Amino acid sequence: MEYRDYYQALGVGRSATADEIKKAYRRLARKYHPDVSKEPKAEEKFKEVQEAYEVLKDPEKRAAYDQLGSDWKSGQSFRPPPDWGSGFEFSGGPRAGTRQRSAYQEEAFGDGAGFSDFFSSLFGSGGFEGAGPFNSSARHAARDHHARVDIDLEEAYAGTTRTLELKRPELKADGTLELKAHTVRVTIPAGVTEGQLIRLAGQGEQAAGGAKPGDLYLEVRIRPHPLFQVDGRDITLTLPVAPWEAALGASVTVPTPGGVVEMHVPAGAQSGQKLRLRGRGLPGQPAGDEYVQLKVVVPPANSPEARALYEQMRQKMAFDPRAQLGR
Amino acid sequence: MSEPDKAANARLVGESDWIAASEVCRLCLIDLTVVVELVDLGVIASRGSVPEEWVLPATSLPRLRIAGRLMRDLGVNVTGAALALELLESQHRLERRIRHLERLVHE
Repeated sequence: MEYRDYYQALGVGRSATADEIKKAYRRLARKYHPDVSKEPKAEEKFKEVQEAYEVLKDPEKRAAYDQLGSDWKSGQSFRPPPDWGSGFEFSGGPRAGTRQRSAYQEEAFGDGAGFSDFFSSLFGSGGFEGAGPFNSSARHAARDHHARVDIDLEEAYAGTTRTLELKRPELKADGTLELKAHTVRVTIPAGVTEGQLIRLAGQGEQAAGGAKPGDLYLEVRIRPHPLFQVDGRDITLTLPVAPWEAALGASVTVPTPGGVVEMHVPAGAQSGQKLRLRGRGLPGQPAGDEYVQLKVVVPPANSPEARALYEQMRQKMAFDPRAQLGR
Repeated sequence: MSEPDKAANARLVGESDWIAASEVCRLCLIDLTVVVELVDLGVIASRGSVPEEWVLPATSLPRLRIAGRLMRDLGVNVTGAALALELLESQHRLERRIRHLERLVHE
């Protein structure tokens, strides 16, 4: 495994005070928190910052970490000293020495996951439970887990079945936790919307001693679609129309998530005007609507005939598109 | 990797579902006092006479989970989390609008 320089991760010196460490963590957490950050690799960086803070904010863990010495470099191959964990005295109590991971990690990974092997080798793999000099043997009730599932608009419209590969921590016989891969097949019903939750009973944390397992909650994310924009169950499509279709009215073919439909464009329609196809959005009670926003596309005057037509319009039509601007 | 489990018992947490406040607190890892403040601030709706008996719309769960995470990870208070939520949602709306307008311009 690789050594991690926690001071470098927080951008502080080895002699930094607790207050300086806290300030550095707050600044970086604000910058990289996955709920608010637009930074590339924000989630990865947030985990690094969180792990560093987890150690450096705790005087006991920090003292132990400092015992490794300052000659190590980030990324250097590392193995804990053979006597690691002895010679330190940690505060008592059933939850003593346990780590409080970030809420983001708690939800995304559940117990025992999310931090590096380096952290686990020094402070135990469990965090709240398991072996290791910093961990207690206290056990809590099974937790719910959360994950995201990305689907296409077509899948949201028609429903779909997904096999998800997830990792969940499980308690081994020796009391430590290991991250085990498992698969869950889930039917996503038609009409799910962005941010909606799907509850999978009993698919969360597996409790010890036959206790009721936690649930798995999937949060639905709908991927951006090349044609449609989604807002709840409503969708919007930009539909190009010819000037004569807008001026004279026309019957046009319009794509919807459920297939193409015929739509009437009223005479005198303008670019930007929105027409509604009731019930053609995502299904539900009630179903969403599809909004068709017209975009008048002007044909190029790239032939003598086309130019003649435009000339004819200029001469015969008293039309000033800027009449409302005032002069 | 094990063989795929048989289809899990999936249930959509829908718009018409209302969840007990105590269950919401468990799911979102937040205290009831936080829920009360967020209701007072108008961030989420509630039904019921006293907070212990409140039920909340299931659609508020994603917002509450984000609020809880921001409070725990960034150390903001409830008002700060509520403000961040509103700004984040406003930002997402504007980003959608910008993408839409960009498409109109470029097509």
